Amino acid sequence: MSLLVQRRLTSGHVADLIAHAPQDVAQVSDDHRASLASRFRAVPPSEHRRLDAWMVEQAGRPPGPFAWSPATARRILGNNALRRLPSVPDTILNAVRDELADQLLRAARGYARPGSLGHWLAGVAHPVLGLITGEAVNWATQVLECAQGIDVEYRVASSDVYFDVAGARTTLRGRRDLIITTDTGRVVVRIRSGQPGKSAGPGLRSDLVVETLAHPDGLAPRRYLGLWPDAGLALGVDGTMENVRAGARDFVRAAVAQRRHGLVRAA
Amino acid sequence: MLTDPAPELLVEVLRGDRDQRPLRDDHSAAGLRATLEDHVFELFGPERRATPTVISSATLRGSGRVSELFDSPLGRARSILIPTVFRLLVAHVHVQDPYDDALAAWRGEHPRDELVELLSHFDHDQVARLRADVHAHYCTLVQGLGPIPSSWLPRTSQRARQLLGGGSVELRDVVDLVVGSTHGVVASVALVDITTSPLGAGAERALRYHALVQTLRTSVVPLRTVAFSSATGELWALDVDHEMLTRSVEDLVEALARKDAPQ
Repeated sequence: MSLLVQRRLTSGHVADLIAHAPQDVAQVSDDHRASLASRFRAVPPSEHRRLDAWMVEQAGRPPGPFAWSPATARRILGNNALRRLPSVPDTILNAVRDELADQLLRAARGYARPGSLGHWLAGVAHPVLGLITGEAVNWATQVLECAQGIDVEYRVASSDVYFDVAGARTTLRGRRDLIITTDTGRVVVRIRSGQPGKSAGPGLRSDLVVETLAHPDGLAPRRYLGLWPDAGLALGVDGTMENVRAGARDFVRAAVAQRRHGLVRAA
Repeated sequence: MLTDPAPELLVEVLRGDRDQRPLRDDHSAAGLRATLEDHVFELFGPERRATPTVISSATLRGSGRVSELFDSPLGRARSILIPTVFRLLVAHVHVQDPYDDALAAWRGEHPRDELVELLSHFDHDQVARLRADVHAHYCTLVQGLGPIPSSWLPRTSQRARQLLGGGSVELRDVVDLVVGSTHGVVASVALVDITTSPLGAGAERALRYHALVQTLRTSVVPLRTVAFSSATGELWALDVDHEMLTRSVEDLVEALARKDAPQ
């Protein structure tokens, strides 16, 4: 049975969820990867397909067009700012400002392609930049608050995790914010706004399967934790083969639903 | 503790003397949640409702009143622009023109919001009045606020959502400013509510509600909850203790009973 662990989001409970994560984790082989690829190939997309936990939670419904806003920019800026903090002891606000300055500099030098964060930042008004700074500080502070209860080594993830499914024109994306390294494996943390809904479990399993597939040795994390600070809740899925399989099945279902939506739209 | 109208800067009363702070209370939250769950069960029964009854600080602030001057379109626009300019101030952004900057920031964040639509229907006189109004509130805010140090971990527009009774009741809250960490040995989290209305009994209920929801969200009792009126410059600061949180539970149960009562 696939289990979802739920606790209040307190430093004690988060530390407990990390310490008591199972040590026997799933390992996917090339055969598993080939099997998954064949299932995705059976659902051919009209164009390159990108799937993530959000699409699984939305039952394959295609997302609306993406647009940068203070809310969509805060996670990247906030996490990048946090990665600056250990090397340069400073306030979060200054770290966010440094990160913004770097992005703007990249845009000014012509390295930011249209549609990128840097390109968008270069075109927004000064007050909007202020609001973006505030949102990024909020995010970074929130992540830091969540991480303060963790008493083992952790790092802020430098990027999300991606896995290209061979020959299926499909990319899977897993979101992650903190990676906690223990002697017996890793625990991955994802921080989210709002409150967890009924599909929060499948969403976490989807992130778990991408994290596992993208690992060089195919090793699953000991536990994938989702933290919802707004609701004060922490949910976790263990890195068992059962959860990895369930996550992969959810992705294939989302691909089927997405294709069906596409065919309906075309008709 | 209630202070007299604005004798000092907000930052001075926000966290006070560190030596005077009580120890961090991370035990009360579970008891408060259990009490609330019992009340919700008494009011709503065991069945989970398809649509939750939503409670927010506005529900408690406006208990019993019908409508006020602040519900006017002008008042609504102001109540959006002032918290926006407050967020810019906390982020240490230089504000050149509070009205233009707040509006530009709001447009950048919510390009299709009803405020933008609302403003497009204002005539020149109304826009001029709103501009003057925002300027006046901004001046009061700047005089009463003081610089918020970044080391206090300030976060603005902090949202919270708590479900009770298996989802039959949803508590929603947005606190304009939260400072301090829940991980210290002593209580250090302070909540600030910026309102464009004069402070009244409703504001006190809202202050208690912020403290209660923050306690339920983080499982740690905050140090202090503060309301600042940009209309009058009044500043109310309440130290959070178990008695105050219990009163907030009573406020909440009353509001739920009123909402649940047949119309």
